[in-house]
Amino acid sequence: MPGEIDYSKINIIPDQDTAEWWEGTKRHKFLVRQCKQCGHKWFPPFPACAKCTSMDLTWYETAGKGVIHSYVVVTQPILAAFVTAVPYVVGLIELDDCHEADGRLTRVAGVMKDDEAEVAIGLPVEVVFEPTGDPNFIMPRWKICGTASNTWKFTE
Amino acid sequence: MGALTDKYCIVGVGETRFMKASNRTPLSMACEAVKKAMDDAGLTAREVDAITSFQIADSTDVANVAQALGIRINYGSVAYSGGSTTEALTAHAIGLIEGGYCNTVAIFRSMNGRTGRRMGGQAPGGVVPPSRAEGDAQFYMPWGFTTPAQHFAPSAMRYLHDFGASTKSFAEVASAFRYHAGLNPKALMRAPMTIEDHQRSRWVAKPFRLLDCCLETDVASAFIVTSRERAYDLRQPPVFILGGSARTYADNPAWNHSRLRPYLQAGNFARQRVWGMSGIRPEDIDVLSIYDAFTYTVILQLEAYGFCAIGEAAEFVKGGRLRIDHELPTNLSGGHLSEGYAHGVALVNEVVRQLRHRADDSCPGWAEGRHTYDRQAGCRQVRRARFGASLGWGTETRGSCLILRSASA
Repeated sequence: MPGEIDYSKINIIPDQDTAEWWEGTKRHKFLVRQCKQCGHKWFPPFPACAKCTSMDLTWYETAGKGVIHSYVVVTQPILAAFVTAVPYVVGLIELDDCHEADGRLTRVAGVMKDDEAEVAIGLPVEVVFEPTGDPNFIMPRWKICGTASNTWKFTE
Repeated sequence: MGALTDKYCIVGVGETRFMKASNRTPLSMACEAVKKAMDDAGLTAREVDAITSFQIADSTDVANVAQALGIRINYGSVAYSGGSTTEALTAHAIGLIEGGYCNTVAIFRSMNGRTGRRMGGQAPGGVVPPSRAEGDAQFYMPWGFTTPAQHFAPSAMRYLHDFGASTKSFAEVASAFRYHAGLNPKALMRAPMTIEDHQRSRWVAKPFRLLDCCLETDVASAFIVTSRERAYDLRQPPVFILGGSARTYADNPAWNHSRLRPYLQAGNFARQRVWGMSGIRPEDIDVLSIYDAFTYTVILQLEAYGFCAIGEAAEFVKGGRLRIDHELPTNLSGGHLSEGYAHGVALVNEVVRQLRHRADDSCPGWAEGRHTYDRQAGCRQVRRARFGASLGWGTETRGSCLILRSASA
């Protein structure tokens, strides 16, 4: 397990485009933006549809499952919040149930609950919601939830 | 060919020393860089009438620089943006002069990039104090990635996966540029670097090691753009602007989460326009600068602008191909990785010096264009320098470039 993240050292400032998204995490929902006109889904929650330019939007609650598309192993902390967390892995996850305008799967990032030794491109993951110490903010993280036959790991 | 190809020139270049701790204000450094570029061109304060700059961290305003140097400007502005803005401001300058808004534009970037506000926002000496995650940062700071190294690493990791490459290709880039820095008296890091030195350096954000990262630097650098008619009267051989691109974006530029495939970055979208406007091809380039925030950003741009095919750059850079006296001499100053990080301006300055045949190396006659080509004796000038390019990177999603030719080409 990676070390603890000290979320008290980051002040998250929601705005009018994002406040509902942060509200969703408090109910353990990982929301993505969805266009009411064409159905396109995206994240982070930009305020217009990149597929059809509509600004008539709703939220889609993803099942929070996906596959590791890529990752970084952070060994040198920069933010004070992560000094006790290194080394940790940030996963770049392709969600199973959301697609971008060009048809490929929507990607989201987040700190893995797993150690570097366990992480590999191609593994299935699911979202877990982590308390931050501030009841107004719950952070999504990702956890390996199965195996896959075709995986790739950085071994240098 | 572009409508304005060959009508505008870079006529002066200058910079402060590349420093780890300047103990100076960005204003003082900016004044020195602009003054040196003016002196280099043989321009007086009355003959420069526009100043532009850009910033995303430490900086100074153009109005202060103009006032300090006694330049009365007809145009001045500071763009809020980072890497790849250098080449874009050159395009702005051409448009402004062509439109009659001003005659001669000084472009600078000044920053205490190491002892002032550092990229990623950290204070001098270490980690970021409690930080505000607002705007974009809501969706990266608490998610575990903040600095450029952390942002670009997943793209690099996927590249290694997709193309079966290893980080030895990154080492080839770092070691070639370090060799050039050894020929550049201005460079911060001049000691030779082997492939093994790179591979032994400590991890920062896998797959990046310390020697994949550019040098946080205190420096100001500047160059001056004017019309061909004015350029002929000045001190240096003019370097002509053939074309370029100015902050071209990839589609879907949501770079924090929904990142692009590494081989669909901004340069891929600019390539056809750039070479069409310039009237030359990648194979015509004799001296190249590539925005080397990281070794990996060089790999991506070689592919994006057509110097090799997508997925081939890791192989392309092997065997010293980017070294002086080899096929594609690149970052002859040492670049951001070894000369020092100047946010792209110094990369343009090096191409200009090479195309003038006046690389400021250890040759006694460099200022008059007399070079020995003896690398052991510290000569950095390429023998044949007709066409050059500077490729600017501002994340995978945005980029600029500048295609130049020497007065004798």
